[in-house]
Order: sequence, then C-alpha cells, then structure tokens
Amino acid sequence: MRFADILRLCRQNLLRRKSRTVLTVLGVVVGCCSIVLMVSLGAGINEQNERMLESMGDLSIITVYAGGSGAGGGIDGKQTALDDKAVEEFRSIPQVAGVTPMASMPYTASLKTGGGDRYVVDYVQVMGIDTTQLDAMGYVLLEGRAPLRSGEVLLGEYTAYDFMDRFRAGEDSMRHHSRGSGGMCVFDESTGTCREAADDPDPFFDPLTTPLTLVAGPSFNGLLSSEGVMAGDAGAAGTPLETALTPVGILKEDYNKGGATSSGLILPLDDLKQLVRDADPSSARASAYDQALVKVTDMAQVGEVEDQIRALGFGTSSVRQMRESLEEQSRSIQLILGGLGAVSLLVAAIGIANTMIMSVTERTREIGIMKSLGCTVRDIRIMFLGEAGAIGFLGGVIGCVISAIASVAINLVSFASADVRGVVTAVIGGGEATRVSVIPWWLYLFAIAFSTAIGLLSGFQPANRAVRIPALDAIRNAT
Amino acid sequence: MIDVRALRKEYPVGDESVVALERIDLAVPRGQICCIFGESGSGKSTLLNQLAGLEKPTRGSVRIGGVPVSSLNERELAVFRQRHLGFVFQSYNLLPTLNAVENVAMPLMFRGVSRQRRERAARAMLERVGLKGRMGHYPAQMSGGQQQRVGIARAFIAGPQVVFADEPTGNLDSRTKVEVMEMICDFAHARRQTIVLVTHDDHMARYADRIVTLFDGRIVDDTLNTH
Repeated sequence: MRFADILRLCRQNLLRRKSRTVLTVLGVVVGCCSIVLMVSLGAGINEQNERMLESMGDLSIITVYAGGSGAGGGIDGKQTALDDKAVEEFRSIPQVAGVTPMASMPYTASLKTGGGDRYVVDYVQVMGIDTTQLDAMGYVLLEGRAPLRSGEVLLGEYTAYDFMDRFRAGEDSMRHHSRGSGGMCVFDESTGTCREAADDPDPFFDPLTTPLTLVAGPSFNGLLSSEGVMAGDAGAAGTPLETALTPVGILKEDYNKGGATSSGLILPLDDLKQLVRDADPSSARASAYDQALVKVTDMAQVGEVEDQIRALGFGTSSVRQMRESLEEQSRSIQLILGGLGAVSLLVAAIGIANTMIMSVTERTREIGIMKSLGCTVRDIRIMFLGEAGAIGFLGGVIGCVISAIASVAINLVSFASADVRGVVTAVIGGGEATRVSVIPWWLYLFAIAFSTAIGLLSGFQPANRAVRIPALDAIRNAT
Repeated sequence: MIDVRALRKEYPVGDESVVALERIDLAVPRGQICCIFGESGSGKSTLLNQLAGLEKPTRGSVRIGGVPVSSLNERELAVFRQRHLGFVFQSYNLLPTLNAVENVAMPLMFRGVSRQRRERAARAMLERVGLKGRMGHYPAQMSGGQQQRVGIARAFIAGPQVVFADEPTGNLDSRTKVEVMEMICDFAHARRQTIVLVTHDDHMARYADRIVTLFDGRIVDDTLNTH
C-alpha cells in the first residue's frame, strides 16, 4: 500500500469522528503548552542568571594567586613563585588565549590635573598589566588606543568622574555617572525625577586630552589629607613622587579584569615597576607578582584550565563555581517545572490511547474487511499509528503556537509595557530587559517531536490490538 | 485449483477442544463453481476460513494454485490474498467512509496501484455491474442489492483466481438474489475463475456446478450439478 493512501485513510478516519479527534488533540495541546511554558520559565531563569554573570564581567577569566590555596605553598611544600616564568607556563596551555600579570601600587596614590591642580582624585587604584596583551585578554577599549610608550596610560571607564573640583563646593564639586545601570532610571535627588543613563553629564574635562599627574609615595596619604605636601612641606618619609602621565585610552569596566577598569589607572607593567622603584628604592622587590589574569579561549574550558593551573601550585578563582551552582539550581527548577508539565502530557497520552482503543473497537469490522481483502498487517499497524501520531503532532504544533503567544504575553505583562519595542523584546529578547519566559527554538522542535512520540507510543497498543483481530470473525460478529 | 488434504480444525472451548472440521479432502478444478452447502453449525464457514487462509488448520493442508496457503506466514498470506483471492460477503462489508469507486478500488490500493489507475479500473467494473450512475455514492446511500453489486465488483476487480462468496444473497430479497447470483456466475464464466460459494439456501445452490454438503464438520455428500 502506498504511503499516500495510508495517510489519506488516516485523514478520513480522523475527520469521521471530528469532535472526538478535536477533544483528543486539545488534550495534547494542553499537555504540550504546559511543558513548553514550564520549561520556558526555567529557561527564563537561566537567561536572568546569565545576564547577572555577564554584568559581573568577563566569564572566561581566571584570576591566579601566588601560592596554592590552603597551606599557601606548592604541593611538595616549596613555594611556587608567580613570576614571568610562571606566566610563560600559563601561556603554553593550549586553551589559553592570553595571560597578564597584575601588579598593584603598594602605596596610596592621588591624581591631579588642570590649572592650579584644580581637579583631584584623592585615592586612585593603580594597576599594572602587560599592555601588549590587551587584545588577547579581551580588554575593551572604549576610546583611544593602547599605550605604546612609557608614560602613556589607560583610564578606567569612570575614572574621569572621580575627579573633584577643589574650587567648587557641595554637589557641584563632583560629576556623577549612573554607571551602567542600563535602561533603568537613576533617581536624581536635585530634581526629584528619574534620569536616563543618556542624560549623564560629561566629566569636568576631556580625559584623553588632559595630562595627569600621579602623586604617590610610601608615606603619602592622599592629596586632600596631606594638604601640606601641596605646599612643598615634605612629610617625614620624604616627598611623594610626582609622575606626569598621558592618558591614551579608556577601558570598559570589567571587575573580572581588575577593579581599576572601573575607576582607576592602568599602567604598563614596566612603568609601574619603575614607579615603585623610584618612589622607594629600598623596596626593590623580587620579580614576583601578586596576581595574574588568564583568559581562556572558550568559556566551557575554564574549569579544565583552572585545574591545570592549580596543579602547578597556584590558587585560582573564577566565576565557574558560581556559574555551576547557578546552573545546577536552574536545572533542578527546570526539571521540576518540566515534570509538572509532563504530567499533563501523560494525561493527554492516556486520552490518545483511549481514543485509539475506541477507534479500534468501532472499526473491528473494517479491519477484518481490509485484512480479508489483502491489506497487510503492517499497513494496518501503520494506519493506526499514523492516526495516533497525527493527533500528537497536531496537538504539538497547535500547542507550540499557543505557547509562543502565551510566552510573549507573559513577558509583556512582566515588562508592563505593550509598545512595539516591548513586543520585539518579548519575542527575541535582547536589550537590557530580562524575559520571564524564554522559548529556545529547540524547545519547539522538542515539543512537537515529543508530542508526536507520545501519540505514537499511545497508539502502539491499540494498533497491535487491531492487527490481532481475526478477519472473518470480525466481519461476522459485527453483522 | 484448490486442493485440500486431510484437513482438521479444532477450537479450544474451556479445557476441551471442539472438532469443527474432520478429514476434509476436497479438490476444486479451475473454473468450477463449487457450493459448500450445510446447516448453520455444520462447519462450512470454518472451512471457508481455512480455504482462504484466514485461519490456520490444526492439521492437514490447503493448496491454491499449487501454493501451500496453510503454511504461509501472515505477510505472505496478505500478499497472496491481494493477488489471487476475492471475497463477497453476506453483509456486503463496504467501508462506510469510502464511496463506491473507492470501495471497489480498495484491493488495488492494497497492492499499491496508483490512485488514477485503480479508480479507472473501478469505474469500468461498476459500469459492468450496472452502477454507472452511483459511482460517487456512499454505502449508506445505496440499497442492499446495489451494495452487493459494489461488493461483487470489488471481489473481481483484481482478477483473482478464486472468489469466495459467503452467503452472498443472505440479506437480499428473492428477485435481487437471482440478479446477484447470475452476476457472480457470469463473471466467473467469462474468465474461468473458480468460485467457492457457501450457503444454506438450496435455491442458490442450484447455480453451482457442484454441491459439497457438510454435516457436523464432515463432507457427507459431493454431487455434480447437471444444469
């Protein structure tokens, strides 16, 4: 028998008992919707978690500390130094995209600029990294370029907003920035209204064209707390060192790549070493670093690389643990939600089985006729499975359409807005908004395949029952 | 054409088994219209089931055109029925969801013949049984006689070697009975097809070339009919 003919018979049989077919399909629709929507809520939680992790910075960065965790030494008790040799060793791990040591200024540092040193930052975080690794490490330059010469430095994304105008008082002495709070509004105390991020004022000066002076020294306590220093009255431990710097670029804030990317100063590693040596020649330290950052090519391999580095005798930290526990959590939520949904699909499966058993009983005689006229058992089985599968498939498709609409509706309600942009965001996501219900494309495929499979499975027993009907008995008994 | 040897059929009833057929030996040559005659309960329907391969005999063998029907598996049997056997039933047994043309074309559909070809053949058959104006009618829209003519067209469409007719006139009035029986005989004679007619109506038995009488599962009489 041709497959097209089998399908035609299936269709005719389904249409023959329209209301029964519709009701059975409806059961599958409900089951399919509940699974899809439940899983989509789980996926929504996942998306929110992912957003949260992203806001914490680059997820493929491992921070390496000198000395292993716990005892503070290597495995065999010998201290593993985090020096250039160790950095080279990290670099030779195949999944590593870039490595940079991260050194910090051991002293308090201030910045000043402008005529009469009008603008000052009392305390600035100073970080030294290997600036040739900017790209490899995934540092994002918002403006400007990487430092090429000694004396050229990078600024953190909001460093320029940390300057205080010493010639003004009160609120006016600072310029505030809403700092990446995204589309959400920032409450402005002076006007009592909401202010969008785009309304942020510019800093006092253009940070890329204004040279800065870095003031630092072993016994320096910041410009404002030691005004005397400004007047040339040296402290007990000598005059703090003043260094002229040329900012050439601004880095995007990323806490996983050093806090200085937010509101600090990023120096080439050698410059920082020089600076420390100049400020206090006696502090000439060994060539070891406090920390190093390792960027892994693929986020999925963070754990693997982390283990390798630990095996070398270093302490590490990354967002892996947090990510894993979040994933674990959302997976179990998804399982619970999906399980709830599955119950209703199970009920639908029982409905399909019931419909098919009724159908077999009703059509006992027809099956007998078909058999005696030479219809193969295989064709009869395919026919019944086809009908059951079609009910599942139809239910799955309709269920997916309804779920898609419901999902968008849920998201719109959660956004509390129904404009065009809201609808687009509700459907495809993106922007800053986090969706409550997220249906990935594979979920549709899965739902349809699953519903069809459920249909086939529930049709299996009735189909077997159908093929076992003895031909002539069926014909005679039903007379 | 049909060769039955030492056929025996038992049915389990509770712990015991009831013998429905015993020591049946029967040979039906090609083109013969053979009537199996008997009271209800004499085993004639059981015999028909064995002949058509719808049931397996307990013992003995059935061959049709040399093929050991009783030892074919289910799939081989279905294919054998598609190619070589036709059926006419007492209660017509048309599929209610199919119209006359589709019902007649059904055996060809099971064989995998394309829709266009099988429906053309079906229309030709329906014309031959005098239902030209009822091609698109559904069984519920036709009288008993018309339905049985559709049934006959269906039995003969695939050109079977043997057509089994199980009380084909059982539900018809006497005038239609004659029409239907003559139609079956005409078809059979035209292409020398073998007919096995099961009936308990001796009026109908008269159309046959040969009458085999069953009683209590045994052949008690086997006579050739002289027309």
